[in-house]
Amino acid sequence: MARALVIQLARLGDLLQTVPAIAALADEEPRVELDLLCPSPLAPIGRLIPKINRVLEWDGAQWQKQARQAEESFHLDRLKEAERQLPSPAAGRYDRTYVLNQHPRALLAGALFGETMIGPRFESFDEHLTPWAAYIRRVAATGISQRVHLGDAFCGLCRVRPTGQAIAIRQPAEALRADLAEIGRGPGPWIGLIVGAGDPARLVPMDVWQGLIARYLAASARGRIVLFGDRNETERAQQIQDGLSPSMLGRVWDLTGRTSLKELASVLSRCNRVVGADTGPLHLAAAVGSCVVGWYFARARVHETGPYGTGHVVWQAGGQVPFPAFRVGPDPVTPMQWPVDATVAYLTGEEPAGVEGWTMWHSRCDRWGAYFTESSVDQLPPAERERTWQLLHPAHI
Amino acid sequence: MSHLSANLEILRRTAPAFAALVEASKGGRLVIQPSREGSPSAQVDGQWIHSSYDPKREAGGWAETQLQEWKPGELGVVLGTGLLYQVEALAAMKPPGSVLAVAVPDLAIVKEAATIRAFGSWCEQVLWIWGTADEMAEQLASKGAPLRFFIYAPAARLHAVEHQALESALRRKIAAQASGRLHVAVVGPIYGGSLPIARYLVSAVESLGHRVTWLDQSIHHRSYESFGAYKDPRHRLTMQSRFADTLSLGAITHLAEDPPDLVLAMAQAPLTLAVLEHLRKKKFLTAMWFVENHRHLTYWQQLAAGYDYWFVIQRQDCIDALKRAGARHVHYLPMAADPSIHRPIELTEEERAEFGADVSFVGAGYRNRRILLPRWLSDEWSFKLWGNEWDGAQALSSVLQRGGARIDTETCMKVFNATAVNLNLHSCGGDDLDARADFVNPRTFELAACGAFQLVDDRSLMPDLFADGEIVRFKHAGDVPGLIKRWLDDKPGRRAVAEAARARVLREHTYRHRAQDLLSTIGLDQPDRIGAMLRGDRNAEYLSAKETTPPELIPLLRYFPGGRRVELKDVAAQIRAKGAATPLQREELLILMLDSYRAETRDLV
Repeated sequence: MARALVIQLARLGDLLQTVPAIAALADEEPRVELDLLCPSPLAPIGRLIPKINRVLEWDGAQWQKQARQAEESFHLDRLKEAERQLPSPAAGRYDRTYVLNQHPRALLAGALFGETMIGPRFESFDEHLTPWAAYIRRVAATGISQRVHLGDAFCGLCRVRPTGQAIAIRQPAEALRADLAEIGRGPGPWIGLIVGAGDPARLVPMDVWQGLIARYLAASARGRIVLFGDRNETERAQQIQDGLSPSMLGRVWDLTGRTSLKELASVLSRCNRVVGADTGPLHLAAAVGSCVVGWYFARARVHETGPYGTGHVVWQAGGQVPFPAFRVGPDPVTPMQWPVDATVAYLTGEEPAGVEGWTMWHSRCDRWGAYFTESSVDQLPPAERERTWQLLHPAHI
Repeated sequence: MSHLSANLEILRRTAPAFAALVEASKGGRLVIQPSREGSPSAQVDGQWIHSSYDPKREAGGWAETQLQEWKPGELGVVLGTGLLYQVEALAAMKPPGSVLAVAVPDLAIVKEAATIRAFGSWCEQVLWIWGTADEMAEQLASKGAPLRFFIYAPAARLHAVEHQALESALRRKIAAQASGRLHVAVVGPIYGGSLPIARYLVSAVESLGHRVTWLDQSIHHRSYESFGAYKDPRHRLTMQSRFADTLSLGAITHLAEDPPDLVLAMAQAPLTLAVLEHLRKKKFLTAMWFVENHRHLTYWQQLAAGYDYWFVIQRQDCIDALKRAGARHVHYLPMAADPSIHRPIELTEEERAEFGADVSFVGAGYRNRRILLPRWLSDEWSFKLWGNEWDGAQALSSVLQRGGARIDTETCMKVFNATAVNLNLHSCGGDDLDARADFVNPRTFELAACGAFQLVDDRSLMPDLFADGEIVRFKHAGDVPGLIKRWLDDKPGRRAVAEAARARVLREHTYRHRAQDLLSTIGLDQPDRIGAMLRGDRNAEYLSAKETTPPELIPLLRYFPGGRRVELKDVAAQIRAKGAATPLQREELLILMLDSYRAETRDLV
């Protein structure tokens, strides 16, 4: 049986954007055994991705340590140590590796693990990008709309077409701890808020979160709020709660710093809606089947990295770009106001009013993958994506 | 059978000569006392050298700590013998294939240990090193392995002098064998007395074959001086301090662009503690040669913990003070001379007339000099005073040359060469000779290197540097006139002393010697890093010949000259140069992977 390895060494959000490519690869060649190489901390999520046979863990911290030692005292024996820390495939080298990052490290991993490499370069270390890699690089540097979603562009990098539907990752099999198990049970709806962000530019101000919580809890008599974040965000969550009245606090669950990645996936799946900026946990919420409400600002662009699938909404800060061809790079958008009332209206089933400086988008999916429309009314899918696929991937049309 | 007989029997199996000498040794200093746990412990001069509760347990804890430092391929050397519990513990834990040696400066102590307790088979695995410091150094060096010292302090203190001599002998050996090339960044001061020394050091390190990046801060002197124009001292100090901070950042930017193996700062180098801590975090190795009197300039207190290595011109007081302030490694490194600058010069008649005198003094007008020098004027000899900062010294105005202008090094050398008796008086803030006279100033070495005769005030560290026939010292200011007269009348005597002093400098006291000592000291302490570089273990030739080098990489190493040091980044660059289309071997891919992480870890700015 042929064996292939998908290599995704970036962060949680990128790993989840890889799910469409894995699904497409499995559809295209169902007899090929697919493994995944991802950073060690993300391996628990990697193991929840359907069609993945085995997850190899990439220990970046250990490599860093080795590199430091090699710099301090380089001798070629260090190669043996480096070799030892490579995760070992079950049966030798792979027939193919699919490399989804443009970082040289991912290319090196591709060359180390596989006989042939499919990904961003024609040759392993060629300077020339494949058309899809060039496209990804270009859209990341410009602000054009209705481009191919990153998850679908990953399909293009792997030389397969999107399946046309969102694939949810599996639920973790383990039962939740008692203190987490109560989330999503009993009266609701339960609204998850992702209060932090790895990129400081994507942090929503604390008073904005306070306003959203207060207005939502006032508008929804049975509503509950769950705060999500890692251990670095516990103080932030505490400060958000400090501004809330005691009666509201009884309806707020603070899980920041209290969940493993698998627990986070489980608890997110129990929320009726999850609100947050463009972050890994927001994509995790979408991947486990929750409906997400994205607030996209700073450099986040809905068309590039909006939540994959159907039923999600995104408020995008900043207007349309009038002359995208002349853009040299997306300017980061720092909102002057936030779509708090509109989001509360949406969460409580009312029609959201327009918000100055923001546009509202609905996520959809078709044979060319994910796309977004600006109104809740059904619209024809934009034609740009098909043209892009024809241009970059004519053999697959 | 007694413990001694049984132990000697075991020793004879692997070290018969050593066993015979132990058996024949006499005397002993240990006072054996039972520990609370029951096994014998020992005291010397009322101080325990093993735990009085449980010596074995204590030794085990000590050995575990040492083990963390012991790298594969290194020869471990225990300093401090005592009853050898610590050696037994370390021998039991040592990594497979590693060799453990024990330096034994006093065989009688081993005999006492062998008499009082039973050794086990562990002592057959130990390499016993004994004899004089030179003999021990020879034995250790002959093993051809990097040395890792494990100091068992309670017992090692009994032989501190012998261990110091062993270290010096090993340093000399390392220096003599050094074939590797380091990259050293020397950071100089903005101005001051350590500036010329920094330049001498740069030349010296280069003359040893190392690559030097000279971060000359003196180019900023005029800007720094301009802040002195502010009337309010707070403004002046704030601006000068901020300026020094900026220069400090400038220095690390430079280091980031061309990372050295060692950052060597001279006293007054503008490197702040924050910058030093940042450098340490980024694994840069730093050293400071503090060529100042630590009692006068006390900024070392703030920087002590910042440098990995301190080199100082004073002995114990200074070393202890720095260690108390947080310095980890402090070593004595006296001043020196640069024979290419400080040298005998053939002078013309005109130059002799201008610069010559029976007696001369070159230096700045410190308090004790203003008071003492007038007492040494006389109608019996001509006297010339050179240098600056003599304003208001009326008693010396008749002998002050060039109106008290600062004189350059070349002029200084002419004065030294043209003078019959050069006076060398260490400065101090008192009215007399320096009451705490320990370190020896650079002038002493410079005069000696010129082959110039000098009378110098006595210093406690002088006898280690110059013998009586090589230098003439005075202990009291009142002795000077008599000494001047006596030596003015003895030209052959002056010449003999001066020539002996010059020979001593050329033999032992040049900046090249100091640079060798400094680098060897660090190399000895870091056998796997600077030590390996100095030994040439990173050279292409050595790596190619090594059994463990993957054969696929040998052709790559051939691209480098045999004596060229090869680092991870060099090999990676060579692999990349093969071009994108060339298929790479697995080892080559691993090297590129390591290098991609390396590039991130050295992101300094």
